Amino acid sequence: MTTVMNETVAAPGKSIIEKLNVFTALALGVLSAIVVWRLSLAFLPEDSEVRLFTREDKITLLSMCAWFVGFMTGIGALVGPFRWLMGKDLSHDENMFLAGKDMGPKRYLRYTTDHKVVGIQYLFITILIFFLGGGLAMLIRTNLGTPEGGWLHAQAYNSIVGTHGILMIVGTIIMVTGPFGNFIMPIMIGARDMAFPRLNALSFWLIVAAAVPLLWGQFLGGITTGWSAYNPLASQAPLGMDGYIMYICIFAISTMVAGANITTTVVKMRAKGMTWNRTPIFIYGTVASVALALPAFPVFFLSQVLSAFDRALDTSFYNTAGGGSGWLYENLFWLMGHPEVYVILIPSIAALMEMAPVFTRRPLFSFNVAVMGIAGISGLSVLVWAHHMYISGWAPLLNAPFMLTTELISIPTGMLFLVLVGTLWRGRLWMTVPLMSIFALLWNFMIGGVTGIYLSDVPADAFLHGSMYVTAHFHYTLMGAGLTGALAALVYWFPKMTGRMFDKTLSWVAFWLVQIGFNIAFVGMFMVGLAGQPRRVESYAPTFNTANMVTTGGAYMIMAGMLVLLYGVISSARSGVKAPMNPWQAKTLEWTVAYPIPLENFDVLPTVSSDPYGYGKAQS
Amino acid sequence: MSVETHAHHEHPDVVGSRNRLGVILLLVADIAFALSMMFVYFYLRGQNVNDMWLPKATADHPAITPLSSSPGWTVTAIAAFGLLAHFYALKGVRAGNQTQLKLGSLVAFVASVVAIAYQFNTIATAPFTFTDGAYVSCFYMFTILNFVHLALTVFISLGNWNRARLGLYINDHWHVDIVRIWWVWMAVSSLLGAFALSYP
Repeated sequence: MTTVMNETVAAPGKSIIEKLNVFTALALGVLSAIVVWRLSLAFLPEDSEVRLFTREDKITLLSMCAWFVGFMTGIGALVGPFRWLMGKDLSHDENMFLAGKDMGPKRYLRYTTDHKVVGIQYLFITILIFFLGGGLAMLIRTNLGTPEGGWLHAQAYNSIVGTHGILMIVGTIIMVTGPFGNFIMPIMIGARDMAFPRLNALSFWLIVAAAVPLLWGQFLGGITTGWSAYNPLASQAPLGMDGYIMYICIFAISTMVAGANITTTVVKMRAKGMTWNRTPIFIYGTVASVALALPAFPVFFLSQVLSAFDRALDTSFYNTAGGGSGWLYENLFWLMGHPEVYVILIPSIAALMEMAPVFTRRPLFSFNVAVMGIAGISGLSVLVWAHHMYISGWAPLLNAPFMLTTELISIPTGMLFLVLVGTLWRGRLWMTVPLMSIFALLWNFMIGGVTGIYLSDVPADAFLHGSMYVTAHFHYTLMGAGLTGALAALVYWFPKMTGRMFDKTLSWVAFWLVQIGFNIAFVGMFMVGLAGQPRRVESYAPTFNTANMVTTGGAYMIMAGMLVLLYGVISSARSGVKAPMNPWQAKTLEWTVAYPIPLENFDVLPTVSSDPYGYGKAQS
Repeated sequence: MSVETHAHHEHPDVVGSRNRLGVILLLVADIAFALSMMFVYFYLRGQNVNDMWLPKATADHPAITPLSSSPGWTVTAIAAFGLLAHFYALKGVRAGNQTQLKLGSLVAFVASVVAIAYQFNTIATAPFTFTDGAYVSCFYMFTILNFVHLALTVFISLGNWNRARLGLYINDHWHVDIVRIWWVWMAVSSLLGAFALSYP
């Protein structure tokens, strides 16, 4: 720590910052929502003619907006901007307080700006999201255990499918860039913190604020449209849809803020000597992901703003009777929706590429090809959105060009495969869960990728679209590849985040349960999809029963693996073996600081003089 | 970065450069949002689904005729004036002239208030209801979201003027530089809306 940092920090007195935490946020959020709800009920005029939900939508959306503003005020997000407005910038002591200095566990319940705290907060909320989303998945699979379904009402089933979908999409978007992009990335590039610590806290607490409208919506009819919330179906859906709209709008803001923050941090705050050729590949993956999200998520945001307008104000963006178009929504949605797949995938694969040299003791095979692959995927991913709309009837003449751009993505994706296989080839393999996760990714992503080529092909897609085949395909990519990378990252960076090793036995048990269960579950789903079972339907023809039973069995196996993993996280963090500073003998900067990591990470900012993958070289 | 700024006394230019990039990246998101609005407008206009872009007269409803685009251009002109005033302030602070900074910032703030009031008036006096077809939906999309933009501009320009008034820009002025970026985008985004509404 520097001299300045060792000074005793005076208590910030009775400043408002000291009084705010998650409890004041919850209280103010709930209070604001109730007040606005009552006022809306009292003062909003009745609709002039019979409409579907319009006045109720206004009340619901206003109440949710009030919750959002109240919560963010209560957590302290507005203190900084208003202090700037007043010309009374935060003092050194106040900044130290916000950074959580000497505060202990309470800092996790506050608007804390230290990137390491935010990383742990992200890890916690990611686990929570997966717990909820996974629980809903088990309800879905249990209901599909028998052909007639039956123990879930059809409407409830639809809502569970939609909620599971959007929860998991958000969970997978943040699962790498949230915990590891925040905790590890600044240390990995030799920085003292993120470029904008207050924005960092903001991006996290926005996700917490977003979660409540989504849960609230479950009591207002739920999300019966699937996670894509196509209009005009969504315009006619119950009030729960308003919760979805708020959730997406707030989450989109969080993503944009995080994107600007992470990108600025990497561009402006890398250590001396860390040229782009010496920047770890995980950093490239993280930046590519958030930079891709920057222009993509505002489009999604707008699609939901217009959806809210249609529902609450009766405008005609998606209502064909008034001159709107459902195709407009589909375009806006998939302009975000496909890049989002790579927002999820790229950081996970980059994390595995980061680990590959460590566990093979070889340099990363062709660093430049890895960077080109990431750049190629990012660039092409914004040119493929309409392959989701082949059979919607929109612009059939564009099907062929979109088929071409989609299939072109195989090339940069293949580059990433090449880098991983090339790094493994003739390496001295250190059999750990992160290393086995690379093999798992290669297997799962190969299946996900090859099946994706069929879906990118117009004639094949005409048959497969809307079937369980599609569901199996994207689970193979997002879960089989994306989540596998994230779980490997958890085991790999766990010692740096907690000071303790992840329990080896538990990590292996969890790995095999999840991977075997996963392949059982989704191979079964491919089979019924190819045979014609539609997705998002709560019952099916008896002929699909056996494969569905297999899938449900596999799903229970995944659940068992995830519970073991969760137990492993808790028990290892509490009583795991204490980790040495660099248990994997890795060469990136995060392994040069001991646990507990000081507030500003480094006593003296490091200077980088070699590439991070110089394994097997005499002087590296 | 607040901790570094206070504990390690980073040079203001370093902090300013970092903040400038952050704002530009946030604007990338906002630009994507604005371009999406343009896409919505021209897509619906081009499709004219069910001939409801500008609905014709029916037995119980008169035909919808588009509003003149002059209110949109007027808001753009006011925003451009605010931008010029801010440039004047920036020139002043760069030359060490605090009086020019304060005057320019105040005028820019007043311009933002006038613009938002005018925008509100445009929305409140529009001869439409929300249900009057796709053009009207897009009209409200542009005007309401520009209103939100202007509200942010009022906040930013008020803060900028207040900080100038308090003498906080004597040693460095990167805040004023960054506010300029926002003002440029405010003027350009208003112009995009006015441009679109000129082609009903």
